[in-house]
Amino acid sequence: MSRGFRRSALIGAGLATVLAAGTAVVACQSSGGSAAPKLSVADPYIPLPATPGGMGAGYLTVRNDGGADQLVKVTSPGAGSVTMHRSTEQTMEEVGALEVPAHGSLNLARNGNHLMIMDWSKQPALGDELELDLEFAKAGTVVVKVPVKPLTYRPGS
Amino acid sequence: MAPLRSTRPRLLSAAALVLGATLALSACSSSSSGGGESSGAAKVSKTSSSSQYRGTVLSKHFDKPDLVLNDTSGQPYDLKARTAGRTVLLFFGYTSCPDVCPTTMGDIGVAMAKLTPEQRQKIDIVFVSTDPERDTPQVLRTWLDSMGKDFVGLTGDLAKVKAAAKPLGIMVEDPVVAANGSVTSTHGAQVLAFLPGDDKAHLLYMAGTTTDTYRHDLELLAQGVAV
Repeated sequence: MSRGFRRSALIGAGLATVLAAGTAVVACQSSGGSAAPKLSVADPYIPLPATPGGMGAGYLTVRNDGGADQLVKVTSPGAGSVTMHRSTEQTMEEVGALEVPAHGSLNLARNGNHLMIMDWSKQPALGDELELDLEFAKAGTVVVKVPVKPLTYRPGS
Repeated sequence: MAPLRSTRPRLLSAAALVLGATLALSACSSSSSGGGESSGAAKVSKTSSSSQYRGTVLSKHFDKPDLVLNDTSGQPYDLKARTAGRTVLLFFGYTSCPDVCPTTMGDIGVAMAKLTPEQRQKIDIVFVSTDPERDTPQVLRTWLDSMGKDFVGLTGDLAKVKAAAKPLGIMVEDPVVAANGSVTSTHGAQVLAFLPGDDKAHLLYMAGTTTDTYRHDLELLAQGVAV
């Protein structure tokens, strides 16, 4: 009796999963056009530059509960230059914009997409916060305070 | 027993459905994030299941390059002669690289710091600059000190650096400056481990290799465990 129940429960769970996946895919395809993006920024950090006051990197995750958007520019009142770059196994290149997919996220993380920060107005130290102004094509400017963390820091560590 | 066995295929198919759903979701959310990390991580998987090492075991054992450059005190450093019979981790990069270079060297530094002084003494970490114009010995020393005070930094003739990197399958090119001023730098981000027995490279670590993996393998290397 109980085995029979467990079995049908399992099948039910499987069906529910398929339905959920179907819904997610549909949402993904249909909301890219006109829906407004709903953005939030998580886990921003700047590893302390290896050369004091030297070139730094910025990492963060942009979560999007709405339609697709693009990160088109990043500036900071505390640094003369912030540019968007992408690392691959062989190269590092500057990029003009980074896609924020609908109902997805844009990850700026080590060994991938990242911000390059130069010309600090004050040499960054552990515990400092740098303001970054993230300019999105649709959502406008999102201001984040980004903490300076140890050189080898990872979110959650 | 029999009914239990009959549920197994259902369990499996349920698992497959869940897996399928997960794939569909992640394909949706990661469509434009570049994927540099995931492709790097995929390549880290080792090729030989018999090895205790977590790094990629090389089937072709590269010779240690014949390279003489300046070290961070400005003195000539003969890589082959100075590191003969020692374990060497070799990485090519440059100090004005904000992402891959400090991440890789920093993670190696954290792993090295967890070894005993005796283990550390058996391993040389060598960083070769692919941007000698900006990476003077002093610039290199300051940068390396953030990751390891005893890390060796080498800088000098870029033509020599390119010639040393090429046979190792490591791409080093002059930076390309586009019309809008953006710079594309090309330098292979892999780390090679040379063994003391034959002074040849036996292990490879791609960008994205974790501190845990480095610590695990550096301990084995310090103990002289065969690859």
